[in-house]
Amino acid sequence: MRFLILLLLLSRVLSAQVTHEDLLRADETPGNWLTYSGNFQGHRHSGLGEITPANVDQLRLKWVFQRRFREKFETTPLVVDGIMYLTVPPNEAYALDVETGVVLWEYKRSLPPKIIVCCGQVNRGLAIQGDRLFMATLDAMVIALDSKTGRLLWESDMIDYKLGYAATHAPLVVKDKVIVGVAGGEYGIRGFIDAYNVEDGEREWRFYTVPGPGEFGNDTWEGDSWKTGGASVWITGSYDPATNLTYWGTGNPGPDWNGDVRKGDNLFSDAVVALDADTGARVWHFQFTPHDVHDWDATQIMVLVDRAFQGRDRALLITANRNGFYYVLDRKTGEFLHASEFVKQTWAERIDENGRPVRAPGKFPTEKGNKVFPMVAGGTNWMSPTYSPRTGLFYVTAREGSSIYFKGEAVYKPGTRFWGGHFRNQDQDEDWKGAIRALDPVTGALVWEHRMFKPAWAGLVSTAGGLVFGGSEEGYLKALDAKTGEQLWYINLGGRIIASPMTYESKGRQHVAVAAGNGLFVFTLPN
Amino acid sequence: MARNVTGCGILLLLAAGFGWTQQAEKNPFTRFEDIAEGRRLYRLDCVNCHGMDGKSGRGARLASKFRRHGSSDSEMFRTISDGIPGTEMPGLWRDPEAVWKILAFVRTLEESGTEACVAGDGDPRKGRELFLNKGSCAACHTVGMGGGRLGPDLSFVGAVRSHDYLLDSLVDPGKDIPPRHRTVRLVDGQGGRFEGVILNEDGYTVHMLDRGEQIRSFVKTDLRQLEKPKESLMPGYGGLLDEIERSDLIAYLCSLTGPDVRAAR
Ligand code: HEC
Ligand code: HEC
Repeated sequence: MRFLILLLLLSRVLSAQVTHEDLLRADETPGNWLTYSGNFQGHRHSGLGEITPANVDQLRLKWVFQRRFREKFETTPLVVDGIMYLTVPPNEAYALDVETGVVLWEYKRSLPPKIIVCCGQVNRGLAIQGDRLFMATLDAMVIALDSKTGRLLWESDMIDYKLGYAATHAPLVVKDKVIVGVAGGEYGIRGFIDAYNVEDGEREWRFYTVPGPGEFGNDTWEGDSWKTGGASVWITGSYDPATNLTYWGTGNPGPDWNGDVRKGDNLFSDAVVALDADTGARVWHFQFTPHDVHDWDATQIMVLVDRAFQGRDRALLITANRNGFYYVLDRKTGEFLHASEFVKQTWAERIDENGRPVRAPGKFPTEKGNKVFPMVAGGTNWMSPTYSPRTGLFYVTAREGSSIYFKGEAVYKPGTRFWGGHFRNQDQDEDWKGAIRALDPVTGALVWEHRMFKPAWAGLVSTAGGLVFGGSEEGYLKALDAKTGEQLWYINLGGRIIASPMTYESKGRQHVAVAAGNGLFVFTLPN
Repeated sequence: MARNVTGCGILLLLAAGFGWTQQAEKNPFTRFEDIAEGRRLYRLDCVNCHGMDGKSGRGARLASKFRRHGSSDSEMFRTISDGIPGTEMPGLWRDPEAVWKILAFVRTLEESGTEACVAGDGDPRKGRELFLNKGSCAACHTVGMGGGRLGPDLSFVGAVRSHDYLLDSLVDPGKDIPPRHRTVRLVDGQGGRFEGVILNEDGYTVHMLDRGEQIRSFVKTDLRQLEKPKESLMPGYGGLLDEIERSDLIAYLCSLTGPDVRAAR
């Protein structure tokens, strides 16, 4: 029987026409992977169930796609009807045959010589709608490519990249708009989130993540400090069709480690903003770390789940924040419902009933240096968590450890570092380590953990087969039992994993893909 | 000792500026001997695509001051040494001094040329009409945003190809087929016939964009027949269009110089 199916499929039509309705119903077509997080809700969960705890140890390499580059490989590929679309550093895009990894077309962007980025010339992926792919670029542009040829269809300037702006995350396409934010939180930018028309790239709206004079929240910045307030955006937001709100996590206030020059709460840095997807109007916001002085961006995936909370069915937004706390909010109103530590932290005594941290005394950076948990890269970071509607659990890559935070001078000069200090990671300490943790999404209670040698930069994907795939800093891709955390399989890919895995189906077989080192690795079960 | 600074975490990796060797803003090699040496190197490395007179063939027209990719010394240095990603223009494996000398020679070509692709006395407006209607060129070609996918994007063909090359393309399309637009024709295991431009061929598989603009994937062992004829999918227009119409069309194609991709910078 299988043989017959294979024969019929030998000549395959690979085509891609993705509508907004397809994106809304992404969970119903688990063979494809249509958005950065797999669905609008940020679940990074797949309905595919061929690979299970019973057979995962038979996984074997199917193909590898390699390119030469010096940068970190942070992409999550998309898969649509037999074609995989991915980005490669710095700003290249490829279409590959999902069966073989063979290149069907490539797009290489010619970048200006001096790109200004804190942390590498990286890109995390594409968005698709119709037969168009969308990419945000290091020279702060949003571009559209033809999904059949890779041809550039339009490009739209977000802002002058020479001032320290760049774009690195996979866009989010909602209806007829491509939504993208800007990075540059280490360069005294003023952050914003933009929406561009999918047809012609015209900008439709802009929301400043640092409010200007007369706007709500501007009084949370002393003097003119809002002008260089940062609050960059560099990880893809979520979208809830029921409320038509799009949820975006924002980055640290600038300068990073010296808050003296920006007294106040510094809205909307280190926050989640809920914007009307049609107009960009802010409906609510919640700030995790008011007046941050540790570089704890809230640029994590905002995960949208519907669960009973204290006996009532509620529309929730859940997120594990870089500051070490796990949060539960009402995603309609932004009401704070719960917070609890998911890694060791020493900067806050507790989170009060409104969700505001009660700071522990003496934890600000100093000239001599001050040791604080979590580390500067946080209790977790941009790597994706996953929520499995099947186990009902939330899984997160947890990073344990501390940094010593130093305060320094902060003088703004356009296009240059605006840090106001520095840090030293305590990475030789015994308590510098990593874990994959499963949390009860409602209470934040730890259900299980899988310990890792070092804090990892790999994200997670969960599957209907009852697995969680994750990775380690040393380059091990691993599969855990989603219910128990038991490690069932691992393989060394020979390069750091600084990306989140995904899974798709081709010719009736489930595939697992992850970027590591300079390659994209794809696994299946034997025939 | 691994330092963990990824994400927005910072420090190290001011990777920007790292890959680009610091280059002078102005060409330091512009003496008579430099130009002569540049000419010698150009004959070795560039002539096949750009022609000795810079009027082009397969490469961009260099006998003109128009530059899509920037006309300052430093921009052109970069174009010549790194190539233009995603196009047929390759990078050059020579030391900076040689690149500067080639550039010095290229500058002498600029003086000799006209600004636009020599278009004779054709009427570009009539040419556009023919392109959209009688010639149904847009079924296979894109100009700007809309059009077909089988043929190359013609949005800036006027900046890249010479008049003679364009004329050849119309009357004898198979004469020079760019590598990304080669024709493939095959019969699969069920006797189905397919024709298109080839996207990939390796030891095991073939991929094409077929005439219906579908991407198709084939396993070689399943094929009854596989041909890559040195013919173009584009029909010859020698018969369909008379001489006046052809010169109108070429006038139109010459006017397509696309957006100056560096203008925004
Ligand atoms: C294999 C063919 C090929 C070779 C060899 C080649 N070029 Fe090119 N070159 C091209 C093509 C095609 C373009 C147009 C790219 C585009 O813009 O689409 C181009 C573009 C250029 C441009 C930019 C023109 C503009 O409008 O900005 C310059 C300058 C140039 N070539 C110089 C050179 C020099 C000098 C050499 C030799 C060292 C060389 N090329 C070798 C094919 C070639
Ligand atoms: C059936 C599809 C088809 C039609 C119709 C068609 N072309 Fe083409 N064209 C192609 C293909 C495929 C190529 C690439 C292969 C080659 O060079 O012949 C091409 C190449 C060209 C080139 C060379 C481009 C380059 O940069 O190498 C030009 C110029 C061109 N076509 C113009 C036209 C014009 C003008 C018309 C209408 C009068 C037209 N084409 C109609 C398919 C088509």
